[in-house]
Amino acid sequence: MSDQEKKAVDRAEISKMLDKKAPEMKRILNYCVHCSICAESCFLYMSHDGDPQYMPSYKIINSLGKLYKKKGNVDHEFLEGIKGMVWNNCVLCHRCYCPIGIDIPRMIDFTRSICRSQDVFPKLDEGESWL
Amino acid sequence: MIIAERKPFEEITEMIKGYKNILNVGCGGCTSICLAGGQKEVNQLNAELTKENAELKIDSFVIERQCNYDFFVDLDEKAPKYDAILSMACGAGVQFVAERYTSIPVFPALNTVFCGVDRNVGWFEENCRTCGECVLGDTAGICPVTRCAKGIFNGPCGGTRIDGSCEVDPDTPCAWTDIFNRLTEQGRVDKIIEVKPPRLWQNQVRRVLIQEDYKARYAE
Ligand code: SF4
Ligand code: SF4
Ligand code: SF4
Ligand code: SF4
Repeated sequence: MSDQEKKAVDRAEISKMLDKKAPEMKRILNYCVHCSICAESCFLYMSHDGDPQYMPSYKIINSLGKLYKKKGNVDHEFLEGIKGMVWNNCVLCHRCYCPIGIDIPRMIDFTRSICRSQDVFPKLDEGESWL
Repeated sequence: MIIAERKPFEEITEMIKGYKNILNVGCGGCTSICLAGGQKEVNQLNAELTKENAELKIDSFVIERQCNYDFFVDLDEKAPKYDAILSMACGAGVQFVAERYTSIPVFPALNTVFCGVDRNVGWFEENCRTCGECVLGDTAGICPVTRCAKGIFNGPCGGTRIDGSCEVDPDTPCAWTDIFNRLTEQGRVDKIIEVKPPRLWQNQVRRVLIQEDYKARYAE
């Protein structure tokens, strides 16, 4: 068992972080019209033959969106589960464009911060890959 | 990617001497990947520093990149609460942090070493000195600025050892022997006899690059 798996998830801390960004989160969850314009502007989505796992909106709705809906009530497994989506599937290049004005990379960056606050991040020294 | 390594512990303690409330900021970019300044390394350094000085209050925080202000939103909130910042990014990141919080002393915890590649986990090699006038097209993808001890453009120098190593260091392969061999393999060894004119080294002043498509936007 690695160090990262040993620490219990501090749900109150996650929930405090989520509360601070509630307006931005509501915007993405309520106003994303699934137009898929962001998808076409993401080079990772395009270079993975349109694999939905790389679609900017998908990445956010299935990571931060779920975290928000669960009000931070998640376990370590959940955070480990979204880790790939917010690290491997996005390079934070800020190239995606959302006509509604949702700042997707900012939200992915924020999701990483939540993971980091619980000591969940890529274990590069254990050979875990970044991309 | 940029490769860095941690400064000697004594140098770090000397720099932060006298500061009691410090924020150690890691970088989620290059220095995470080269295992010098990511979250694990930030936590490790802080543990060592508090072990040495129990009175020191030093917190950890990692932002995804210290070379782009888009990633500073949360740091902006935290930074003013500290009387010094330690940065575990490359020198570019350290300067960007220092430029953002000019009233707070910012100290580098790393030495930025080179621009290179990952050969394996924890094993990095220098490949480019960012000279601004890349010649790799003529040198079979081997950089003479970085890999030839004399940085010459019309090699080899004549001192290459019989086993193909560099006269300056027997453990380093001669870059120009490698260039010769690879150009031969590619059937274009004639490239090596083309004389390259002397280079006008342009790195005396700070370089700023604005991509062609963005020039109009920043014209003013
Ligand atoms: S920031 Fe992430 S989601 Fe946006 S274009 Fe870049 S890789 Fe795609
Ligand atoms: S601040 Fe330096 S180490 Fe961090 S991502 Fe930028 S270039 Fe890489
Ligand atoms: S010639 Fe060498 S130092 Fe110059 S840009 Fe190319 S790889 Fe980098
Ligand atoms: S022996 Fe090769 S690598 Fe060494 S200085 Fe001469 S040309 Fe450069």
